[in-house]
Amino acid sequence: MSGNTSNTAPSSDSTDDPVRNRQRDSAGADESHVRVEQIRKTFNDGSVVACEDVNIDIDEGEFVVLVGPSGCGKTTTLRCIAGLEQPDDGRIVVDGDDVTDAKPKDRNLAFVFQSIALFPHMTVRRNIRFGLDMNTDLPDEEKDRRVEDVAETLGIDGMLDRKPKALSGGQQQRVSLGRAMVMEPDAFLLDEPFSALDANLRDQMRVEVKQIQRELNKPMVFVTHDQEEAMTLGDKIVVMDDGNVQQIGTPHEIYNDPTNLFVADFIGSPSPNLLDCTVVEDGGELRLRNAAFEVSVTDEQAAVLRERVGDRVVLGVRPEYLALNDAETNGAFTANVDVVEPLGDRDAVHLSADGQSLSAVTPQGRVGRRTDEVAVEMEIERAWLFETDGTRLV
Amino acid sequence: MSTGSSLGLGDVEIGDVWTRFMTYVVLTFLVMVNLVPFLFIISVSFTPPEAFFGDPSLVPANPTLEAWTKGFADLRDNLVNSAIIATGTAVISMAITIPGAYAFARKRFYGKKVGFYAIIVAMMFPYILLVIPVMDIWNSTGLYNTIPGMWIAYQIFVTPFAIWILRDFFQKLPQDLEEAAQVYGCTQFSAFVRVILPLAAPGIVAVGFLAFLTGWNDFLFSNLLTTGVGPVPAVPVLYGTIGGGSGERVYWGKLMAETLIIGAPPTVLYLFARNYLENAFAVK
Ligand SMILES: Nc1ncnc2c1ncn2[C@@H]1O[C@H](COP(=O)(O)OP(=O)(O)OP(=O)(O)O)[C@@H](O)[C@H]1O
Ligand SMILES: [Mg+2]
Repeated sequence: MSGNTSNTAPSSDSTDDPVRNRQRDSAGADESHVRVEQIRKTFNDGSVVACEDVNIDIDEGEFVVLVGPSGCGKTTTLRCIAGLEQPDDGRIVVDGDDVTDAKPKDRNLAFVFQSIALFPHMTVRRNIRFGLDMNTDLPDEEKDRRVEDVAETLGIDGMLDRKPKALSGGQQQRVSLGRAMVMEPDAFLLDEPFSALDANLRDQMRVEVKQIQRELNKPMVFVTHDQEEAMTLGDKIVVMDDGNVQQIGTPHEIYNDPTNLFVADFIGSPSPNLLDCTVVEDGGELRLRNAAFEVSVTDEQAAVLRERVGDRVVLGVRPEYLALNDAETNGAFTANVDVVEPLGDRDAVHLSADGQSLSAVTPQGRVGRRTDEVAVEMEIERAWLFETDGTRLV
Repeated sequence: MSTGSSLGLGDVEIGDVWTRFMTYVVLTFLVMVNLVPFLFIISVSFTPPEAFFGDPSLVPANPTLEAWTKGFADLRDNLVNSAIIATGTAVISMAITIPGAYAFARKRFYGKKVGFYAIIVAMMFPYILLVIPVMDIWNSTGLYNTIPGMWIAYQIFVTPFAIWILRDFFQKLPQDLEEAAQVYGCTQFSAFVRVILPLAAPGIVAVGFLAFLTGWNDFLFSNLLTTGVGPVPAVPVLYGTIGGGSGERVYWGKLMAETLIIGAPPTVLYLFARNYLENAFAVK
């Protein structure tokens, strides 16, 4: 698991006034810009553990995506970074300053809410200016200039004197982005900002946000439960489940090399095939046996499995790595074609073999609509092996 | 299917007609109940006493302003008292209940639930129950027959429902708004002032208006907690005009004029507050 750099003890400075006593970390200069260290947060007197042992390093200009199923603690983690939630344990460091005990307004972080949360009684202009009015002594012309710049970037410059209610959902979320951008914060925190928008608009906003982030070159932490959104946006992806970080890595690392069964299953669509197998030895050669098939393993895999003959393991392989051929050809095994689901230039083919469901992805039209049976060939060298408890073997 | 035509054209369903009919019945009933006595009051206030006991008509034959001038002269000082008492009641209750209701809506503290239900339950009992202990305490603390005494006494009526209504108001406002304000530079307090207060304004104005009305129109406490030498508000004077139940002959014209005079200030206030009040219970 990458990203767990922390061997620092949780916050030890318990001084009275957290804001005034914010100290510069000695090693501040070359450290990451925002650091989340060993965060733990519980609710209801400890009965609900929302997140635990969360360590994330966010570099200057990095786009980090927190992804995971509903209730896994993404929002809680983000709110701890923003200061809207006080972690039970751990530290938040922004730009070298320990801000764990600082008020939200003293962290110089911008938060974009899932609910948008514009102030309904203020015009768009006043909404965007709000942070500048509250937190800075800039002259009025400078504030106006910033507001107008940001509004232009976001394409809402014609709407500055309207109330939020008179804007569409997409425009409202732009305003809320604008409210964040004028602050020129040290980092942006976005909690599922586009979940209320329709699919087309969401794609468009995604691209825009990524562009804006590239231009501003500021760290951005983006929360989503949509793994596809995570893959398209993130420089670094943090996969969470059940309050814990499961894996941190680039989209390619996460996709190709999941650290456990959960990540393998969660990332990618259609989901990978996860097949229960038994390790068998057949004349000195190690093979994996399943109700439907038997495959021999690579040398690398064999090295791990050598000691484990007779054990049960889970074989994981992405649908892309199942090749489908005519039933007459020699494959590893034959399977029935249940459904062919067009995905654009590719088709997802759902198969069943001896009571097991599998899916494969093939180029468009490779499997005809009336095909009943196919021969399945597995690229075993691209498969992963997991313990039955989910940890990765190889 | 009905096209929803409001003119009864085309295929209107019988249910629509029935609803419409009932609406008018209810409206007519309300108008009769409210407007007819009101017209009667106005009419009587301009009717000379002889005509009232002789042969009254809705439009008086020889209208007179006598009842109005006499009534106003009798009430002038008491109206000032009423204004001070009602305004103070409203201001003090707002000062207490806005933070209180906010705490009940948003903060976590020990005994919150019990405290809230205690306040609600307190509203369920007839206030007359309180007369003896209140008079007792007011007497022994020197609050009896003073304006501050009235202000405090009315809080007993006003604060429970004010807290109840305002708490609901604050609870309905999304928490994200306060948090957004805090992220963008506010303290908890300034977020409350800049975001929550303006958005709760309709509720606050409505509750403040009701508090004012309570202080203005109450008879029970104003009669019991003041004496002729103290700050008597206007309503007990009205009671005097009826004869205090003494069975003397009642000057009806003056009674009606006084009623209208006392009713006028809250009406004017209502007209000013109307925009807020109409929003108060219709906010999203
Ligand atoms: N204020 C709270 N009080 C009690 N429990 C809470 C609170 N906030 C969050 N939780 C619990 O903490 C866990 C994590 O919640 P969180 O909101 O962080 O999830 P999430 O990953 O953002 O989910 P989603 O994708 O649904 O937004 C959940 O089990 C949730 O019920
Ligand atoms: Mg969430």
